[in-house]
Amino acid sequence: MPSAKDIIRKFTELKTLPHVAIKVTQLVNDDRSTMQDFEEIIKLDPVLVTRLLRLVNSPYFGLSQKVESISKAVVFAGMRQLRNLVAVEALRGMFKGDDADFSAQKLWLHSATVAILSGMIAKRIFGKDGEDVFLAGIIHDIGLIVENQVAGEQLREACKAFREGKGPLTECERNAIGADHAEVGYLLAKTWGLPQDVLSSIKSHHLSKQGKAVSSTGSILQLAEFMAGKMQYWPIAGPIEPLPPELAEHVKEKMADYKIIIRDLPGEMTKAKELYESDE
Amino acid sequence: MTEPTFDTIFDDLIDANEELQGFLAILDALLPEASMLLVSEAGAVLEGARPLTLAPPVREKLVREARAADGFVAGKADNGARCHAVYLAKLSAVLIIACAAALEDDWEPGSAITSLLRNTLELAQYRQEREMLVADHEQSVRQINILQQQHGKLIEDNYRQYRLNQDREKEYARKLESEIAKQTAELREANARLEEISRLKSDFLANMSHELRTPMNAIIGFSELLSETPLAEEQLDYTRTIAQSATSLLTLINDILDLAKIEAGKLELERLPFDLAEVVGNVAAMFKIPAREKGVVVASRIDRRIPKRIMGDSNRLRQVLINLAGNAMKFTEQGGIDILVDYEREAAGQIVSRFSVRDSGIGIPADRVEAIFEKFTQADGSTTRKYGGTGLGLAICLQLVELMGGHLMVASEVGKGSTFSFVIPLEEAPAEIISIAEHKEAGREKIFSGGRILLVEDNAVNQRLAGILITREGYEVEVASDGAEALEHLRHQTFDLVLMDVQMPNMDGMEATRRIRKIEADPALRQGYVGLRNLQQPLVIVGLTAHARKEDETACYEAGMNGFLTKPIIKAKLVMILSEMMPPATCPENKDPA
Repeated sequence: MPSAKDIIRKFTELKTLPHVAIKVTQLVNDDRSTMQDFEEIIKLDPVLVTRLLRLVNSPYFGLSQKVESISKAVVFAGMRQLRNLVAVEALRGMFKGDDADFSAQKLWLHSATVAILSGMIAKRIFGKDGEDVFLAGIIHDIGLIVENQVAGEQLREACKAFREGKGPLTECERNAIGADHAEVGYLLAKTWGLPQDVLSSIKSHHLSKQGKAVSSTGSILQLAEFMAGKMQYWPIAGPIEPLPPELAEHVKEKMADYKIIIRDLPGEMTKAKELYESDE
Repeated sequence: MTEPTFDTIFDDLIDANEELQGFLAILDALLPEASMLLVSEAGAVLEGARPLTLAPPVREKLVREARAADGFVAGKADNGARCHAVYLAKLSAVLIIACAAALEDDWEPGSAITSLLRNTLELAQYRQEREMLVADHEQSVRQINILQQQHGKLIEDNYRQYRLNQDREKEYARKLESEIAKQTAELREANARLEEISRLKSDFLANMSHELRTPMNAIIGFSELLSETPLAEEQLDYTRTIAQSATSLLTLINDILDLAKIEAGKLELERLPFDLAEVVGNVAAMFKIPAREKGVVVASRIDRRIPKRIMGDSNRLRQVLINLAGNAMKFTEQGGIDILVDYEREAAGQIVSRFSVRDSGIGIPADRVEAIFEKFTQADGSTTRKYGGTGLGLAICLQLVELMGGHLMVASEVGKGSTFSFVIPLEEAPAEIISIAEHKEAGREKIFSGGRILLVEDNAVNQRLAGILITREGYEVEVASDGAEALEHLRHQTFDLVLMDVQMPNMDGMEATRRIRKIEADPALRQGYVGLRNLQQPLVIVGLTAHARKEDETACYEAGMNGFLTKPIIKAKLVMILSEMMPPATCPENKDPA
């Protein structure tokens, strides 16, 4: 059985994250980088430029003047929002392919929902910046994409076993493939140099216990994952893992807040669609 | 996909009747004297703080009636107390309420009690909704806070980037500065190197002029001497040819040196008074004899409005005119050559005059006019062979005329002749300045009286040549081969004049002259020198130098010399300067007491 590392090695031989995405991620992590550095990178990719300008000119930013220069747009968007824009762009291309047992497109919808929910929870309930959690949401199931590419047959076996109730998905994956998508996704994201809490949230998003604080990226991601699953935004049919008790307790306490989030989700999704996918 | 609700998502977590429970709690607080029951749509019965007991059939009946009715429905509790039921559409539940304080009649529709109760129910519902609104508001506040934080961070970030950019700019500026400094240093160094090379070139040129003139000196001098010895006709012819060739070679050397000096910007024009008519007349006279041989007439004419004596460099003006007239001579076989000076206009106190040299020679084709002013070029390659010349003459004239403030022009027609002309401003010489040339002129009148001459010269050939020339003129000659030897001679003998070569080994002419002047100035030292002891005035020292440059001349005078003679020694010039410089009427008793 191959290890998670073997799977990653095979995968990176097949596909690499676009240069722009890697470069932008590096710049975000570098204190000495400036907006000019971002501009230099972004302007190489006309699709990104269009998207970026659309983003800063959207009602979400509410700017009084139309932004037409890349450098201004970069300043308004901020580095991390920019990184997310690039990540969405880069990853979307990987979530392609559709069949009865495993739909990468459904997985993309799931990831997007989790990302948006994560962002909402972070911002509305914990009052913290939602950009990193959003990234975690978009990227958390990348392991499944990797497995689909490298070990498609085994992944389908695992999905079947999961559907038939033979245990949690990660367990079925480990049985069929030798590794699970949380581990594989974590290892892949690590090579991209993402922030540490994003990495660990990817690794822990299927754990039945959440060791970290309720406001941590990992907890938020798990909450969003649970909610998205309940909303049927889930590519692999099968039993949904219950929420870890401390998170369930938290939801009970903040019931009114979660009601509002669920109420506002469709609107937020429409908005996100406009920001990230409006040209499709 | 159906719109998901909180209940469908968190169904495991929540008590389905939680909302009703919340409503009941609020109502309990609002109506402390009432006891209540809340029956949900699913039939769940929720009790208030003060229980109200109803038998299930009674309760179910009441609930059914309330759902159907549009208002309060009366019933009876187990304890006999009156109670009323009402359907709450928003909660999909039926509220059964009993209140002892309210009278039976009060429950009529539209009564104060029912209105009050309805308002209270609405209030309870609003309070419950308010919880949601508060949560909503709190979420908005949090989001606003995040935006504010992001905004702050953006400003902070911009400031940080501004500083980063500043640092980078400084770094660039520093690099640029050091780069510029480095390049400037390199350029300076290169410039210094070039200046050094240029200086070396000038020195080389000066030395070359010395090296070239020394043998020329010998050739010209000895061929002149040779031609004066008894010679057969053929031998005389050869000797003259040697002398002529040597003279042309010397002209060529002088031309090249002149041009080099002009190009190096080292040529400066003198500004001394001279007689213009004399200069022009001399030039015309020079060509009269060869012209007559060819059958060509040479004439000169100066406009009367032009002053007789003017300020300027007579030698250079003469050089230009000789060159132009020489050219005219060369290319004219019949007709005449006119040297003209015409009045053009007066400007700023100066007379602007046109100098022209007009010939009736072969002329210059229009397409070659420009080329003739270039160095080493004549109108046609074949002319060099036919007419000779270096082709340097016009190039020098062009430059000299420009130095004088004019521009050399030519008008020519093939077969009819050419006119070279230039317009320069002439300044009248002030009356009080007495011309040096006139001085010299006066000196020439002096009666020749002979004398003793000390010739200081290191070159054996030159020693011999000069020795012969001087002796022929009737002077006595003593030879010293360097400055030190000259001083030694002066220790024991008296001389009327010293001919002092400038460039010599051991002690050069400059140094020797300086020493002689020093000894003369010191009475004690003077006693040791027979040649200087009894002199009434300083010993006459005439410099001999191959360096024909102006600065060389100045250096000679600065060292204390009285006169200056360039090599190669031309007999006529030597004779003139000796007769000029020789102290008059040397007393026999002062002469060589030894």
